[in-house]
Amino acid sequence: MKRILLVDDEKSLGLLYEEELTKEGYAVKVVHDAESALKILDRQAFDLIITDIRMPGKDGVELITEILGRRRDIPIIINTAYQSYKDDFMTWAADAYVVKSASLDELLKTIRDLIG
Amino acid sequence: MIQRHSFFFTDLQREASRELSLLSIVAQSFFQPFSIVDNLLVILTALTSGAGIGFNRAMLFLKKDDRLKGEMWLGPQSAEEAATIWEVLSHPGIGYIEIIEHNRSLVARNADTLSRRIRDLSYSLEAAVLSVPALPVRDKHIYHVREAGSDPLVDEKFHAIIDVDEFLCVPLVAGDTSFGVIILDNAITGNSIGLREVELAGLCGLIAGNYIHSAELHQKIIDMERMAALGEMAAFITHQLRNPLTVIGGFADQILNGRASGNKRERNLGIIRDEIRRLEDFVEKIARHFKTRSKEPEYFDLRPLVEDVLRNPAIADKSAAIRLVLKMPKETPEVLGIPAAMAEVVRNIVDNALDATPPGGEVVIRGARRNTSWFVLSVKDSGAGIPSRDLDRMFTPFFTTKEKGMGLGLLFAKRMVEASGGRVEIQSRQGKGTLIRLILKCREKEETS
Repeated sequence: MKRILLVDDEKSLGLLYEEELTKEGYAVKVVHDAESALKILDRQAFDLIITDIRMPGKDGVELITEILGRRRDIPIIINTAYQSYKDDFMTWAADAYVVKSASLDELLKTIRDLIG
Repeated sequence: MIQRHSFFFTDLQREASRELSLLSIVAQSFFQPFSIVDNLLVILTALTSGAGIGFNRAMLFLKKDDRLKGEMWLGPQSAEEAATIWEVLSHPGIGYIEIIEHNRSLVARNADTLSRRIRDLSYSLEAAVLSVPALPVRDKHIYHVREAGSDPLVDEKFHAIIDVDEFLCVPLVAGDTSFGVIILDNAITGNSIGLREVELAGLCGLIAGNYIHSAELHQKIIDMERMAALGEMAAFITHQLRNPLTVIGGFADQILNGRASGNKRERNLGIIRDEIRRLEDFVEKIARHFKTRSKEPEYFDLRPLVEDVLRNPAIADKSAAIRLVLKMPKETPEVLGIPAAMAEVVRNIVDNALDATPPGGEVVIRGARRNTSWFVLSVKDSGAGIPSRDLDRMFTPFFTTKEKGMGLGLLFAKRMVEASGGRVEIQSRQGKGTLIRLILKCREKEETS
């Protein structure tokens, strides 16, 4: 079973993603901030990281920068409510950029394309 | 050894030369938190009051779009009036400040009768052939006119109003732009204008031109920031709507697809309801935000407004276990701002301070005058402080360290305060707390008559 690490400070959004991705057959771990994400990445293996950008403390861009500094083998999807971060060149380092939407179809398709 | 000096040399005029004291007054006038025209009044006053360069009368024309328009005219209307004014001015103890205040109140009461005579004058600056007073504005040279009555370059209507044959036109120039012209004469004494006066008045024109130039640039920057703020606002609204919509859509889909029954269905409906409340709350906040932004700043009494904020039930609730101290004199000068917006700003900042302070801690709100032009309202908490890496981002839209924050409070405070010419400073030491300072323009309370 493919393992996904989801980083989003919105608790109810985390819950929704956890349930929906589990239904799709993925093992999902949800954390609510970048520090927790970095800690768990040191201890557990994941096949994919999905991260929000706007979060208290370290934001998603800083998180991506730190992850890339440690390892580059895990694909990353940015999932944010903002279009505008596409202009931030650090977000280009991610494998995909999906804007949050009431339908999860695009996010699910992107996940399938990246890890099957 | 180091000695600090203020830029405001109040004693200068007693010992310095007339030239130096004139230039000092002119330069200092731009520190004042008044409008461009109001600050130009200071220059006209300096040019016409006895101790300065000592012209009898000074007239100001300003460029508006492609036209030059009469704005202000200071000076006595007759020899008798001149004698009275100059007699008063020769008394020891009466300085520029008093004369400026006198002139300012004349203008404010619309009692500067000379000004009325030139307010209808308006000259095109684009016409092929220009006359005085428009000509020196386009030519960007000082014009010393001696026989105005017989000179075809002087506009007849203008000559009929100024009614003297000798006068000096000093355009207000910065770089390759001119913003208007000051016209000086000695209608009462009939003294002729010497080269020394021409040079000194010219210098004042240069200073005034550069002042207007920088004031206009400053306004342009504020306008651009407003535009940028609109863009930020649009992005912010989108974000605030997308997050709850994603949650509502997702959990509603689960119910509709039959994947949420029993307890889970109840849970989903609960989450959906909470998110809708959040949206409602957000729409409310945005509406309030725009309502408070659309007004013009005015001078008002800050202390009652701060006291009102502290009586707000939400603030009073939070401060139950925290010592909330207000240190502000009963009598304070009036500050410039939009009262409703300022209440929101103060409420936001005090709210932040209370959130940051642990029970038993202290939040101190202090109001004090810094000098004649500025008033400082500060809010200090005794919380954990903000790490220096976050401090730089405190004014970034939507940046927040709070669980339920919008990340808009401090940005709103900064924008509101800057829109009224003030500024916001933030200092924080980890383990010591955070200090926010609102530095606001102020003026003495007006006498209520």
